[in-house]
Amino acid sequence: MSLRVEELNVAYGKVQVLWDVSFKVEGGSLVSIIGPNGAGKTTLIKTISGLLRPLSGKILFEDQDITGRPPHTIKKLGISTVPEGRGLFPNLTVKENLIMGSYTIKDQQRIEKTFKFIHQLFPILSEREQQLAGSLSGGEAQMLSIARALMSEPKMLLFDEPSLGLAPMIVEKIFEVIKTLKQRGITILLVEQHVQHALELADYAYILENGRIVLEGRGEELLENPHLKKHYLGL
Amino acid sequence: MLSPTLLLQNLIFGVLLGSIYALAAIGLSLIFGVVNLTNFAHGDFIMLAMYISYFLGVSLKLDPILTPIIGFPVFFLLGIAVYLAIFHKIIRAPPLSQIAVTVGLLVLLRNFALAVWHAEPKSIPRTLLGYSYRLGSILIPADRLTGMLISIATFLILHLFLTKTKTGIAMRALADNLDSAALMGVNVRNLNMLTCALGIGIVALAGGILLTFQPVNPMTGLIYGLLTWSIVAMAGLGGVSGILLSGIIFGLADAFTAAFWDPRAREITIYILFILLLWFRPKGLFGRR
Repeated sequence: MSLRVEELNVAYGKVQVLWDVSFKVEGGSLVSIIGPNGAGKTTLIKTISGLLRPLSGKILFEDQDITGRPPHTIKKLGISTVPEGRGLFPNLTVKENLIMGSYTIKDQQRIEKTFKFIHQLFPILSEREQQLAGSLSGGEAQMLSIARALMSEPKMLLFDEPSLGLAPMIVEKIFEVIKTLKQRGITILLVEQHVQHALELADYAYILENGRIVLEGRGEELLENPHLKKHYLGL
Repeated sequence: MLSPTLLLQNLIFGVLLGSIYALAAIGLSLIFGVVNLTNFAHGDFIMLAMYISYFLGVSLKLDPILTPIIGFPVFFLLGIAVYLAIFHKIIRAPPLSQIAVTVGLLVLLRNFALAVWHAEPKSIPRTLLGYSYRLGSILIPADRLTGMLISIATFLILHLFLTKTKTGIAMRALADNLDSAALMGVNVRNLNMLTCALGIGIVALAGGILLTFQPVNPMTGLIYGLLTWSIVAMAGLGGVSGILLSGIIFGLADAFTAAFWDPRAREITIYILFILLLWFRPKGLFGRR
């Protein structure tokens, strides 16, 4: 068992956003959480990564209770986040953004090794190395955000809507990358609006509506679900 | 009366002065940019640094230019203390609350100085640098030349720190996006604390240099507060070189006002420059955001 979330209640200021959310992500699997705008997807990612404290509930990572811990300690346990809207450092170069990704790693040789892997995965980033991250196109920025999250050699990746605002061709590419990462054995929690892709990739998926999990099942099962077909796929 | 010599003299004077002003402002810029804190008490930290320099000069018979050897570590620790006691509690507060709290700190520092050192201006009895170099008919005062060299060295070290070390890059990352920096594994509290320690520590350098040619009184913080904020506003948020350039612009304005108008009109020029700037370039001349 890699990540387990139990009865999570989270509020943004005085407004409660998540209600008794429970789910689990097995080690090495990819779990998708799908929901419309305002369902609480980003809140969920922020709570797991430590940026928000829940009102109640538990988050366990590898059987360790990480509920309410500050984000830098959660990163050190091996959870990396690809945040909503990329979350890059626009006034830092591409290289410096990647260096920030390896902030928790002390061993310079391991960092060099990951750099090589990143350059294979995203050759475009090595061309852009000295450019400011703020000058990248949407697709390049998303690749950098993913690359940055990989720099710490995470056990688990949290994706917050990686397809948001990208052209269809780039979306294909991003999901291709996510698939590659899954094949490399990284545990993945993918929060998405892009239903088709997210379900095809997922071993297991949950549907989040108005802050509650309303439906769950294996990816291909859910693709056949009438509620989902009607409301999300427009079929 | 507008002789080339006089122009050149004031040009040199302005650059010397301006690089020292930039040194006084860089700490404010770091704390404003990285910690995201609007600190209205910065000028009074400069005032305090000048008094500490005076105190060390008198009690230890130390040349003011050497006092930062003790002053820097003291102010470094003061920065940590002030961060933990005050700044840490208001970094997420709206700017208005930050202003209210730091103005309170300003009043505290000002009255502390008044109680300990009284109202009459204090200046250092002697400095080894009380002479001038002569280039033809142009004078270069040794105290200000030394000040400029210390300032430029500090800016160079700071630039290398912010671009070549992991901690320095993390500071710039924190200035860009706090949440993302935390997600990368940065302990935001510790890094903020280090930034305040560094920012206030550098004030001790500036205080020691300023005291070699300017007396200090408890109201000194007023003029330096305005001056350093103007420099930061003109530079905008960006690299350290913007602060150096912007400091030099204010130094030139200062020198030329004193020479061609009236030495007492310095503050007016600074105010006018500041207002024009807010009017036409609220982002600053060299700022990226």
